[in-house]
Amino acid sequence: MNRRKAIGGIILTGIGSALAFSGYKWHDWHKQPDIHWLEQHKDLVSALAETVIPETPDSPGAKTAGVGEYIVLMIRDCTERMSANKFIDGLKELDDYTRSKYKQAYPACTAAQQKEILSRFEEQGKPFKGIIGKAQNRYLGKSFFTTLRELTVSGYCSSEAGATKGLAYLYIPGAYHGCMTMTPGQKGWATK
Amino acid sequence: MNTFDAIVVGSGISGGWAAKELCEKGLKTLVLERGRNVEHIKDYTTAFLHPWQFPHRGNLPIQEIAENPVASNAYTEATRQFFVSDKEHPYIQANPFHWIRGYQVGGRSLTWGRQCYRLSDLDFEANAKEGIAVDWPIRYKDLEAWYDYVEDFVGISGQPEGLPHLPDGHYLPPLEMNCIEDHFKKKVKENYTDRLVTIGRVANLSKGWKGRGPCQLRNLCDRGCPFSGYFSSNAATLPAAAATGNLTLQPDAIVLEVIYDEKSRKATGVRVMDAHTKKITEYYARIIFLNASTIATAAILLNSTSKAFPQGLGNTSGQVGHNLMDHFVGTGAQAEFDGFSDQYYSGRRPVGVYIPRFRNLGTPATQKDYLRGFGFQGAGSRIEWQDMGAAAGKGGFGEDFKKQLLKPGPWMMWMGAWGETLPYFDNKVELDPTQKDSWGQSLIKISFQYQENERKMRKDIQASAEEMLHKAGFRNVHSYSHESPAGTAVHECGTARMGRDPKTSVLNAWNQMHDVPNVFITDGSCMTSAAWQNPSLTYMALTARACDYAVQELKKGNL
Repeated sequence: MNRRKAIGGIILTGIGSALAFSGYKWHDWHKQPDIHWLEQHKDLVSALAETVIPETPDSPGAKTAGVGEYIVLMIRDCTERMSANKFIDGLKELDDYTRSKYKQAYPACTAAQQKEILSRFEEQGKPFKGIIGKAQNRYLGKSFFTTLRELTVSGYCSSEAGATKGLAYLYIPGAYHGCMTMTPGQKGWATK
Repeated sequence: MNTFDAIVVGSGISGGWAAKELCEKGLKTLVLERGRNVEHIKDYTTAFLHPWQFPHRGNLPIQEIAENPVASNAYTEATRQFFVSDKEHPYIQANPFHWIRGYQVGGRSLTWGRQCYRLSDLDFEANAKEGIAVDWPIRYKDLEAWYDYVEDFVGISGQPEGLPHLPDGHYLPPLEMNCIEDHFKKKVKENYTDRLVTIGRVANLSKGWKGRGPCQLRNLCDRGCPFSGYFSSNAATLPAAAATGNLTLQPDAIVLEVIYDEKSRKATGVRVMDAHTKKITEYYARIIFLNASTIATAAILLNSTSKAFPQGLGNTSGQVGHNLMDHFVGTGAQAEFDGFSDQYYSGRRPVGVYIPRFRNLGTPATQKDYLRGFGFQGAGSRIEWQDMGAAAGKGGFGEDFKKQLLKPGPWMMWMGAWGETLPYFDNKVELDPTQKDSWGQSLIKISFQYQENERKMRKDIQASAEEMLHKAGFRNVHSYSHESPAGTAVHECGTARMGRDPKTSVLNAWNQMHDVPNVFITDGSCMTSAAWQNPSLTYMALTARACDYAVQELKKGNL
């Protein structure tokens, strides 16, 4: 068997067993995403985004950058159904877990508690490694944590606060310098 | 009122040139554009916006992608205004073919890739030497002076390299390479005698040129450039045409067909539908230039039936609509590099590096098991937040994650090939006999399949990309090859080819229709072979040359 066929085989087996295992969830993943609930929980999303990219002495965090609003908009408009459902279901699960364990909502928890909670969901949401993981994301939708982190990163880095204070943003460069020695603490460029 | 000296159909890269040349030679010229008007600078509505001023930060809603499954591959939230909606302008794909269109004044010259390369006799002689399709009726010497002529007006930054198969042109100063590209260039030179790495030759103005530019290194070209930093019809040729006082520009004018007069055996004009009112108007002229773009020009010809030409205007050869080509893309490699960790760059260069063709150059050492060749485009950069996606850093979240995310990552380099596709008769454009669009016009049906030659070339591309990166000391080398749909390169061409024999070609050596001498076609449809280079510069040179010839013939009373 050549390499390409071998890889193909792995993908099919991988998806096949994943589907057999969780086939009963199929309908659940394809339902109409509960955007209404999501929109009512912007504060929860903002707080989670802030846990991913917190405010630090040198630059603002995700909350100041308005990432919560961005994530809600992106889930509503730009996220395919399976990933959107996994995200909203993950949020609900996280909300339930937080309330039952810490007797309060996530935004009210301490930083240490928030870290424990999100670590737990990160571990749960880890895709398989390599090509099966890619197939998993593509065919079964991304995990709650994967979507949360991706959207927090893109929302933060393309926001005014993130691009201009977290990263370095040149509106009109006017020139191109191919090789320059970095200054201490050099930040990455916000745009390509 | 409806009569002009010349009519130009289309205002894109070749139509803009036809307008400029004909107007400057004193002809009262009507330019018909099926799309809306786009006024230079004023209508570049997104040009000055910051990333955070786009609600979805450049991303497209899934609903919009579902409605525009083809076009949405080519545009973003910042550029959608310059692309045609699949939903509003349907066409039929007998096989997957991405027809990316720009219906507006300026056409796709607003959104093109701007890379400018000359063809050479390696290309013009290939069909004849290999017995493929028909011979080009011209050679490099016929076009050389016209390449000079258009380059001098366009303004192209680039580096002369002295390669016989990629002739040097007249260039503005080249843009700089960054550290990793420079390293790669040196390593390729050390390891290979048959190839080199050069900076892309690109129609971005590295210094002010003819009152335009200079380029501000924003890399936002396809939003339209308020600094006129790159070449487009809107920034360059149409203003030059207008300055003569001879230009009449008519947007929202859909050309349905060319009107043919059997008595004089010439075209007398065109029949046009107003895109909004659907009112039909006829315009008349002594010469007609068709520059509607490869597929649309073929469709106009096929739709222009008459007693003399029941199969479409000038189609006694039966070649109109056939031999459709595009460059194939989707094969290449990327890799990371350890080193230069204290080096960075500043500014956003709107072009990458280029590795000109190094296969099948006529020497035994370069000979492969397929015909023709490919050029690599590539670019080096440091891994930034955009490249990280879900894998950002080593996982995790919080302060350490943020720190990793916001600083420049390791260096990386990618390269992908633009490969020459051979002309196959069965790759074609037809008019569907039953289905119509909103303007009552037959839907265009496109059939396209790659064959063995392209598949073999892909294998070689993948292997050679991987090899070069390995030899240059990169790690994590990952090569890829996927047969992306034809049309993806947006270099479609060949549907009304030039040739020596009216029985097997549509146009002669002057881009003049064999059958209808006062009709000239100088968009991509004229190409007898695709060659491996990005094509627009060649369309410009052919257009300027054909305009010069047409006006001479007019003066001689031959048209």
